[in-house]
Amino acid sequence: MEKRLPKKILGRVLLRCFTLQASWNFEKLQGLGAFYALAPALRWLHRGGDPGPALRRHLGYFNTHPYMASPVLGTMLALEERIGRGEETALGVQEFKSMVMAPYAAMGDALFWGGIRPLAAVIALFLAAKGSLWAPVVFLAIFNLPHLWFRVFGLIRGYRLELDVVEGIRKYHLPDLAVRCKEGTVILLGGFSAYLVFLCLRKESLPALWGLLLLPAVFLCARLVRKGLSSQLLVLLVAATVVFIIHLG
Amino acid sequence: MGAGHYLLGASVAVISGLDRTAFPQIMISRPIVVGPLTGWLLGNPSAGLQVGLLVELLWLGRLPVGAAIPPDDTQVTVGATALAIGMGGEMSGASPLALSLLATLVAMPLGKVGQLFDRGARNWNEKLLQRSEEALAENDWQAIERSHLAGLGHFALASLATFGVIVGAGSLVLHSLAPILLPLTAKSANWLRVVFPLVGVAAILATINVRRALTLFSASFVSAFLLLWLL
Repeated sequence: MEKRLPKKILGRVLLRCFTLQASWNFEKLQGLGAFYALAPALRWLHRGGDPGPALRRHLGYFNTHPYMASPVLGTMLALEERIGRGEETALGVQEFKSMVMAPYAAMGDALFWGGIRPLAAVIALFLAAKGSLWAPVVFLAIFNLPHLWFRVFGLIRGYRLELDVVEGIRKYHLPDLAVRCKEGTVILLGGFSAYLVFLCLRKESLPALWGLLLLPAVFLCARLVRKGLSSQLLVLLVAATVVFIIHLG
Repeated sequence: MGAGHYLLGASVAVISGLDRTAFPQIMISRPIVVGPLTGWLLGNPSAGLQVGLLVELLWLGRLPVGAAIPPDDTQVTVGATALAIGMGGEMSGASPLALSLLATLVAMPLGKVGQLFDRGARNWNEKLLQRSEEALAENDWQAIERSHLAGLGHFALASLATFGVIVGAGSLVLHSLAPILLPLTAKSANWLRVVFPLVGVAAILATINVRRALTLFSASFVSAFLLLWLL
């Protein structure tokens, strides 16, 4: 199908995608944000007639991962374009939206919040521990390359591939990628913790191998967090204990 | 540190607070970014980097999934950095690491109010939804778009309020307790610098969904530790 939306309009939709959660609320979550993002394109598609019915369709519930919203919104635009031409579509706009929002949210949460963000953070923390001010730059670069790629190409591919975007995204094996990122994070966290403990023992002129004793302490803390103790309370308790022991000693 | 510095801190608090949820979510709100950024604007990037290092891992495992609102580590970092730099100006000769640690310890519990303000902003946004539905009845599409953008103001106010509480209450606590707490913190600073990230690591290990996470972590920890010891 010939695509009609000018690049300028798609660009406006893309920029507006960054405000998807500006009016996030407990009732319709990103609903107003999705409306805001799609509005310039819907107005353009129905510029000769009444854009009301099309706009009205998108003032409802919308909730997915903010970065994964781009392919969803791109496909919704393509479907709206077909509907505007009076063509048949295999799935309606609302059906498509309802079908993909939850799985895309789960994939995005696992990949971006649970995978890439901790991985980028740990890499940056190595630099921060060395006192390097490149730490924030490295974090932003590692995190935002995949993030912006998904936002930009997600919208374009969603619009171009239409319903086939689901298959296009499936090919990336995002859940597997998220697991690899998490595994990498755990490994790097081990190295980072060892480095911090080693530095501390050296500064305190204590035998380095004592550091291995901190491994069970980390496991104990992890167990307490799993039992429901908040990490904030835990850090305050541990800090108070450390201050007390050092003050006595 | 004068009012101008706190105003600068408040500007960073608003911009980074918006980045958390509303716009544009490029993660300048993460402690490892916003800490050095605040520090740089207030004339001491190292203090901000130190606070960022302490706070980054603590709540990293708390994901902003669905309606869940994680603790506001952004405002804790901005507030703690502003407090540490402010205190440093008043207490010349105090250890910069101890100042960052103490400011973070004070700011952390106050950050809890960030969750309340964030929830308030999201509840307030429901009024925008009502306003949009009224505009829909009148086919006033521009009004709906304006309603959406008004949400930015709500999130900005929530961030500013959190920063205000952290800096206001934090300053009061620090002015009265710093003479007692600062020497204690300075004495145990090297250990406390490890405590924050290690508790954060433990929290991540407790929540990360990876098979044999503890085995992977232990293997990596021991190998890295032995390597550092041997070299």
